[in-house]
Amino acid sequence: MPHDSDDMFEADNATREGRGPVDHPTMLGGCARAATRAEAAFRVQYPNSRMRTSRIFALDAKAAEAMYAITEDPWNNAHFLTLSTKGPTSPETQAADLPLSHPDGTRADLLAEIEGADVVVLLAAASDSEGAAEVIARECFERNITCAGLALARGQKAAEVDRVVNSMRRFARVLVVASDDDYIPAMLTAMRA
Amino acid sequence: MLRKEVNELLTQTDPGTAMGEMFRQYWQPALLARELPEDDCPPVRVKLLGERLIAFRDSKGRYGLMDEFCAHRGVSLWFGRNEEGGLRCPYHGWKYDYTGQCIEVPSEPEESGFCEKIKLKGYPLIKVGDVLWTHMGDADNRPPKPEWEFAKVPAEQTFTSKRWQESNWLQAMEGGIDSSHVSFLHSGSLKTDPLFRGAKGNQYNQNDKKPVFEVVESDGGLSIGARRMAEDDHYYWRITPWVMPSFTMVPPRGDHPMHGHFWVPIDDENCWAWSFDYHPTRALSGEERQAMEDGYGVHNQYEAPGSFRPKQNKDNDYLIDREAQKRGETYSGVWGIAMQDASLQESMGPIVDRTKENLVSTDNGIIMARHRLRKAVIALRDKGVEPPGRVTAHQQVRSAARVLPPDQPFKDAMKDDLKVQPGVKQTSV
Ligand code: FES
Ligand SMILES: [Fe+2]
Repeated sequence: MPHDSDDMFEADNATREGRGPVDHPTMLGGCARAATRAEAAFRVQYPNSRMRTSRIFALDAKAAEAMYAITEDPWNNAHFLTLSTKGPTSPETQAADLPLSHPDGTRADLLAEIEGADVVVLLAAASDSEGAAEVIARECFERNITCAGLALARGQKAAEVDRVVNSMRRFARVLVVASDDDYIPAMLTAMRA
Repeated sequence: MLRKEVNELLTQTDPGTAMGEMFRQYWQPALLARELPEDDCPPVRVKLLGERLIAFRDSKGRYGLMDEFCAHRGVSLWFGRNEEGGLRCPYHGWKYDYTGQCIEVPSEPEESGFCEKIKLKGYPLIKVGDVLWTHMGDADNRPPKPEWEFAKVPAEQTFTSKRWQESNWLQAMEGGIDSSHVSFLHSGSLKTDPLFRGAKGNQYNQNDKKPVFEVVESDGGLSIGARRMAEDDHYYWRITPWVMPSFTMVPPRGDHPMHGHFWVPIDDENCWAWSFDYHPTRALSGEERQAMEDGYGVHNQYEAPGSFRPKQNKDNDYLIDREAQKRGETYSGVWGIAMQDASLQESMGPIVDRTKENLVSTDNGIIMARHRLRKAVIALRDKGVEPPGRVTAHQQVRSAARVLPPDQPFKDAMKDDLKVQPGVKQTSV
């Protein structure tokens, strides 16, 4: 095996001949030294993003309960939605027929909700919501909306958690298993929901 | 995005801070054993968790780590004479043993016992593998000795280096669990680096730049799985373990040695990037060891012999080579996997302002690691709850890479692959 690292560095140095500390740009911000604490303070203070649209779906009653604990917090442009049926949903269900509601109990329409969404988060604590997950994910997929799945494991047996995860695996770009419900606000805050 | 208070909570590790207390719960790598190669060798200065310390090895081979400054008038004991069972300050001859106890004050009558009243703060320093470890916390609450696999395999199977990184520990550690950057930042090096190239898995990395992630909590921290497409609708999985507070491993490639890191705070604006390579079942070849010494893989070259500052550093713009970047040899123009990471992490500023971040769903590994750290730090601070990662069982982890059929969750199918199995080779593609 060749050990050409020295040659490599010599080549590097040759192409940058004469470049030593004295040749550095005289302004700190003009070189990698800008990464000092003093220079870091000059990071521009204007916002670097616009408000995101996040849609959070609780797929079962337990997930809805965990979600309701935080819906009153100050969010940017997040809508929290629950599935208003009990029991499994057929994956064949049309988007318009998916029974969704807002936290105040009013009816919500899937397609209207995900229109223009940046991210969809599926929350699940039970494994009978695969059909509903599929209906939502299908519409997201067609619209190139990223789906994240969060399996809530608190108080659940490992086998049940596995079933919950499996029910979302096919649809989620990222799947997280959280042992505590307080990961929901932590994750949503981190993602500027 | 992380709120300012939480950013401060997790990034500040000086004595008296909550995160500092957390780090003081664990054995931390303090020095390479080769920095103190023989009895009575020169002492070494080392700063850890915002404390300036001096390390030495006495005439009987005992290791000591203590307050750097003489209790008399504050001279650095780096100038000390390491002789006859202790370190003697060259100014007025006060002498300390390996625990920091003063054992001689030449100006005072020996019978007075004055020296017994003088003791420098000292920490234990023990050798496990190629590393000298210290525990800077309460002596009554000492965790079991470190049992990490890289430090326990025979010497010929392992290699460790360390590097000074001019940034806070957390942004360095977050790089270690950020699997989505590999297909970009390191794409050039995957093809050329002797410690990475040639593995079948590399093609999957190159071909699928949109991995799918699964983040699962483990007893000691997290397992972060990244899934890419392989052939026949199978998935190529790469699993990165993180053990609290700052141990990470890189998923292996082919039969190359496996590698990983510790990210240890020096102070709030600097950290030690510890990098190790080991093979669980065979000796490292001469070529591999040479490549590690030459700065390939997760290792680096140094500014000067005996220095731990990289040769590529912020004073020389990391020797960025825009031509090599154009030719496709490097993605960022910076040579070497370790310095590709370090240059970008240092560029964020000494402590990155996380209130300005825009994290996306694929950053969930990082989001979850911060969440778990925050909870563990607060539970320790407010209720004295022992944090994860201290016990031996939590440290028995490995990274792994494997191709699986689509219906098999990595968590089950790779359960054994993610555990240390003595005498069993790593699972790798
Ligand atoms: S693309 Fe991730 S930090 Fe810039
Ligand atoms: Fe990296």
